[in-house]
Amino acid sequence: MSRAIDANEEARAFWAMRWRMVRNVVTQALREARLRVSVVTGLSLIFWVGLFLLFIDGFQFVNSLLEQPKIQQQTYGAIFDIFFASLLVMLIFSTGIILYGSLYRSREAQLLLTLPVRSARVFLHKFQEATLLSSWGFVLLGTPILAAYGIVEVAPWYYFLLILPFVVAFVHIPAATGAILCMALVRWLPRVRLHLLVLAGGMAIGGSIYLAWTVFRGAEVASLNAAWFQEMIARLQFSRSRLLPSWWLSRGLMEAAQGQWSESILFLVLLISNALFGQLVAWWLSARIYRVGYTALRSQRRARRLPGVSWADVLLGHSLGVLSRPMRLLIIKDIRLFRRDPIQWSQYAIFFGLLALYFLNIRRFTYDVGYAEWINVVAFLNFAVIGLILSIFTSRFVYPLISLEGQRFWILGRLPLARDAILWSKFVFAVGATLVPSALLIVLSDTMLRIDGAIVVCHLLSCVVLCTGLAGISVGLGAKMPNLREESPSKITSGFGGTLNQVLSTLYIIVATVIPAVHCHFYVASLREPGEPATWLVVQGTAVTLVIGLAVTVLPLRIGQRAFRLLEF
Amino acid sequence: MIEFQGVRKSYGTKLAVRSLDLTIPAGELFALLGPNGAGKTTSIKMLVGLLRPSKGALRVCGHDVVAAPQEASRRLGYVPDEPYLYDKLSGREFLQFIIDMYGFDRQAAAQSMEREIERFELAGFVDDLSETYSHGMKQRLVFAAALLHDPEVLVIDEPMVGLDPRSARLVKDTLRQRAAAGTAIFMSTHTLTVAEEIASRIGIVDHGRLLCVGTLEELRREQALHDSTLEELFLQITAAAEANGQAPLDETTA
Repeated sequence: MSRAIDANEEARAFWAMRWRMVRNVVTQALREARLRVSVVTGLSLIFWVGLFLLFIDGFQFVNSLLEQPKIQQQTYGAIFDIFFASLLVMLIFSTGIILYGSLYRSREAQLLLTLPVRSARVFLHKFQEATLLSSWGFVLLGTPILAAYGIVEVAPWYYFLLILPFVVAFVHIPAATGAILCMALVRWLPRVRLHLLVLAGGMAIGGSIYLAWTVFRGAEVASLNAAWFQEMIARLQFSRSRLLPSWWLSRGLMEAAQGQWSESILFLVLLISNALFGQLVAWWLSARIYRVGYTALRSQRRARRLPGVSWADVLLGHSLGVLSRPMRLLIIKDIRLFRRDPIQWSQYAIFFGLLALYFLNIRRFTYDVGYAEWINVVAFLNFAVIGLILSIFTSRFVYPLISLEGQRFWILGRLPLARDAILWSKFVFAVGATLVPSALLIVLSDTMLRIDGAIVVCHLLSCVVLCTGLAGISVGLGAKMPNLREESPSKITSGFGGTLNQVLSTLYIIVATVIPAVHCHFYVASLREPGEPATWLVVQGTAVTLVIGLAVTVLPLRIGQRAFRLLEF
Repeated sequence: MIEFQGVRKSYGTKLAVRSLDLTIPAGELFALLGPNGAGKTTSIKMLVGLLRPSKGALRVCGHDVVAAPQEASRRLGYVPDEPYLYDKLSGREFLQFIIDMYGFDRQAAAQSMEREIERFELAGFVDDLSETYSHGMKQRLVFAAALLHDPEVLVIDEPMVGLDPRSARLVKDTLRQRAAAGTAIFMSTHTLTVAEEIASRIGIVDHGRLLCVGTLEELRREQALHDSTLEELFLQITAAAEANGQAPLDETTA
């Protein structure tokens, strides 16, 4: 006979379920996807160690510039304060958005709410997941910085032990805040939730631009010297409010690094108590408003779509006039699906928006004009970053396109349409979607860095080659190794083919960046020598990149084309 | 066992269910029929606690589903039309999670699981991850999960979707046995032959309004269609309702 279970039994059942799931995932990954696990682990380690070494160098550089320990500590304090304050805001938003999806839109929540489970338990279960999902990046990014700081400052052993509890306690505060905001928004403002989110997002982006502008405004007057750091510290005053958990975190860790363990523990206790209190408030609130909010959200009438073709599709149809009609229609269909999936375009917009923000502020740092080779390095580093973001986009969204068509092949396969047209339409879609924003970003970066005209042309040609190459790899591999059973793009991406696609794309980016970068470097060096500048170096670098790009584009596409012609759905 | 009292549900200004009064006693297998968008799934979602009625009350074994959702859920088993399973759990692990929610002791839980695994013939795949299951296998597993705790009320949305003939027979026999054992069963379906074959009472709903309720014989008498099939009855009743102007109304005009 069934009986009501208490909260502890409920918690045990959820943890047991989660543990079984983790065990199954790990066992399956080790059995079926060793290469993927090795690549992901290896790349994560390389990333962590790279960041660690970079920050060791960075902190030593700051120490060499600022000889007085007091100013050094002030500078580190300011860096940590602004870093953790930014993370605080980002974690509030990311946890809130993840929880909105998992508490109100997921099929799992629907299952759990039909079981005799307390609403607060469903909330806690999803809250723990959301906190982990939103903060793992912080752990990956934050721990090497903090470890490097400890090494450079010759911190006592307990500093390193305290890093993890500090970070864990800290992430729970923005996570609880995001959860409370999310539940309150759905419960009391369900109709305007989207508008509010857009407004809040717009305010956050606007605020970031304003802050970046004010912090670096007028900082062109001098190079990286003590006065510059002092000025920056003064401008970052807003991130040093005593009420911000980010300040408690930076202060607590810095006290530990200085050997003040009792002060440090005080800050840790402050963080833990606030994290627990935040979680308690969120839990209490969830018991009262989660289920009510869930049903209120589900009780809204869906907005009806207006009939007719949108102006954007008409415009696109005309602009693709050189292509055959079936290909045009396939591309418009893919762009329509992309446009109607906010998860896809919002990630795309955030990545490119942040890059644009960074490029806009490049000239605020004035170590520029005097060092032409240094500018060339920065420009190509920017180029590589754009390439890496493009590769994430092509791996996450372009690679699964053919697999996803497998679900719809009952209609596509019966149309009077050559299979090659499907493949080419994906390729054109991928090139178009990546080339337009990346070329704009390249021009923006080069303009802000006042790059030489010949190098701008080289950058733009390399950008075209990069986009076509990445699209060729993703479309070709997607056709060669489709996963026709899977409906989730993220699961298709995380398979062997997706991992291989990401690895090959990364290797290609390195090649497509290093070759023109080296040639341009020597060209820039030649500008300071007497006589004619060695423009032929730029031409040679561009030509080599073009040849490699052509091969990287054509080869995977040919392989994919052959496989796709023979594919049985 | 199941009581709908003046239940009304609206989505914004659109009324999905209007003033539904219905009682399903223990041992009855009730089939709710209706065209797409008639309000069947909305009624079921209110019954299992996923939606709140805009007006009226809904009780399961005397427990109000809004005021005491846990008590109501504990007495209820639910089979949705699109079952959700955890991809990375095996069928057995999923059943274990579900039964943990009902507070069974270890021995009783094991017995229940073995009983349902045997009943729905899951033994061949129950230890595989559920991401490898076909739709029919998932549906059978969800039936097993819904019956694990021997519920007093069973709610099923489209029971036959994706089931092969043998599994469909199994499900129909199980439902008959459960009803005979005293379970109140509320089932929504488009498969009229299933309703005709196993339902002890049938309700036809359209545009959120319950048009008629009764046994197949009572419906035939009421409509003066003595030798008709349920399909003929259904088409006649819904067509008549349409002709009488019982079209969808906005809440403001209802």
